[in-house]
Amino acid sequence: MTSDALVSLPVRGAGMATRRGGGLRSRRILGKLAGAVIVVWGVVTLTFLMSRVVAPDPTTLLVPPQATQAHRAAVRHELGLDSSLVVQYGHFLRNLAHGDLGESFSTGLPVTKDLSQRLPATIELGLLALVVGTLVGVLVGVFAAIHADSVIDHGLRAVVVTGLAMPQFWLGLSLLSVFFVQLGVLPAPIGRLPVGVDPPPTITHLYLVDALLTGQWSVFVDSLRQLILPAATIGAGVFSPIARVTRTAMVEALSSDYVRTARSLGFSPARVHFIFALRNALLPIITMTANAVAFALSGAVLVEGVFGWPGIGQYALTAIQQSDFPGLQGFVLYVAVLYVLIYVVVDILYTFADPRLRR
Amino acid sequence: MTATPLTKETADANATAIADAAVASPASPRRGRVRWRGLPRSLQAGVVLSGVLVTVSVAARIRTPHSPTRTGVGPPFESPSSTFLFGTDQVGSDVFSRTFTAGLTDIGITLIGVAVAFVVGTSLGAIAGFVGGIVDAIAMRVSEILQSFPALLLAMLMASVLGGGLLNVVIVVAVLGIPGYLRLARAEIMSKKELEFSDAARLMGNRPGGVLFRHLLPNSLAPVISFTAINASWVAILVSSLGFVGVGIEPGTPEWGSMVASGRNQINAWWVSFFPGIAILLLALALFLLGDGVSDLKARRKW
Repeated sequence: MTSDALVSLPVRGAGMATRRGGGLRSRRILGKLAGAVIVVWGVVTLTFLMSRVVAPDPTTLLVPPQATQAHRAAVRHELGLDSSLVVQYGHFLRNLAHGDLGESFSTGLPVTKDLSQRLPATIELGLLALVVGTLVGVLVGVFAAIHADSVIDHGLRAVVVTGLAMPQFWLGLSLLSVFFVQLGVLPAPIGRLPVGVDPPPTITHLYLVDALLTGQWSVFVDSLRQLILPAATIGAGVFSPIARVTRTAMVEALSSDYVRTARSLGFSPARVHFIFALRNALLPIITMTANAVAFALSGAVLVEGVFGWPGIGQYALTAIQQSDFPGLQGFVLYVAVLYVLIYVVVDILYTFADPRLRR
Repeated sequence: MTATPLTKETADANATAIADAAVASPASPRRGRVRWRGLPRSLQAGVVLSGVLVTVSVAARIRTPHSPTRTGVGPPFESPSSTFLFGTDQVGSDVFSRTFTAGLTDIGITLIGVAVAFVVGTSLGAIAGFVGGIVDAIAMRVSEILQSFPALLLAMLMASVLGGGLLNVVIVVAVLGIPGYLRLARAEIMSKKELEFSDAARLMGNRPGGVLFRHLLPNSLAPVISFTAINASWVAILVSSLGFVGVGIEPGTPEWGSMVASGRNQINAWWVSFFPGIAILLLALALFLLGDGVSDLKARRKW
């Protein structure tokens, strides 16, 4: 870049921001989206390459071991695995553009169908964990910041740091061992509902909501009981980083001049903490929450595995273990798009949380 | 601020001294003698805990009460007793001996993986930030692609592609770690190369490589180093997660994640999963505290 451009750029930028700042913002979002498309393409291609080139041959899983070579070849041909890699890639991209992710090798159903069937389970679990984890995390963070350096603050820190170092799969197993095996107060890890209980009539696909809407109180309780332990496990993973970030940002905000001014003007402590300080501490909290959303909605793979939760995380786990390329690609595509969407949303949220970024 | 060493005054004085020294002579890495008592408590805890973990893991390689790999040293699923302190697992192996023997495996994979990621990621990031242009664009896109994968899934995919074995697990962990270091080092170099000492280094006749690796890089490492330990704590959990799903590590090798998994189908026998899980927790905690402590040295107000 020449020094000329260096000098003129900010000026031009400033002019545009005053005249039509909205245009600049939407152009920035468009730019981000374009970059995002490249990333999604890269993710999908990398998965394609890794799964096709080197992963074990899925036909060995689909045909009986005593099958003839001809049988094997027929299966390979049927799956399109005998054509060249470039041709396979072309097919794959063309189908992808039509919203066709192929058929899962392990279930035999279209991957889009498999995923959409399992998605509600992941969303229900993820949302519950997110709401509880984020709320408790922010509250604990604010509370600790208000009482910074007290005994409570140090105690909370120990909890949060332990939470950060805790392997999720082990936490899930330990919770099961305590609440299911030892105390017997919560149900076995067998998915969304106990054996013999029918799901409520479908409205939103989320059992908790549907049971409430249709007034099936006992189904609501049953499904909540199934949710508690896995949600607590994922929720712990959401809670710890959010509490930590909130505490740090709040301590910073509380020591600022405007908080001192607000206090001296006689605003109530609640108003000072939650309206003035928290609002200014929001940016890092939003970032961390975005990470948490990505984590919770991409199907915490191991937690779903531990609790037999029929979500997309478990689907992905099975897909890897059975060399189910289409299933795996579908999952990876979903996660990549999810991440990209989350970061676009975050970008927009930033400008609401911090008016300075609207320029 | 987290650390409240024996007297608050000494700690604060020390913090101010460090801050002053840092402001007064940014070029000089020496900040006077580091005193143990003046260190943030998180750093002290991290040093002690990791020291203990390494020591007992090394000791376990020399001697354990029972053979860590032999099956049937006791009856299967025997609860903890004076003979088998942590009980026995489904094949009658001693959980105590296995847990301690596994230490060096998990610690080793974690540390080597992180070290490789650190060296490769930081160098690539430094070059990307220094050269800019197309090199930078490619490096950034590749990092973003790698980071848009759910980490565990990418790790499992790579591990199943590469096949089993400890070395392959190290490679997987290293590759997964590279983007983080790359982006951090790149950002640091990009801001540092605009500063005057960079011009000065160039005008003194250093070649571009010399400016980058002898002047810019050493001055950009501080944030990378405090990231390293935090990252290592995450890597320790990732390594054990791979073991838990049974990817990469040979069955039967004592490894914490796979030991937790072996207790999965017998939740009644809680000890089979519990003790190796605690070990993972302690390792991740130790590394996290180290990283946190290092950044506490600079910003004393965070958690």
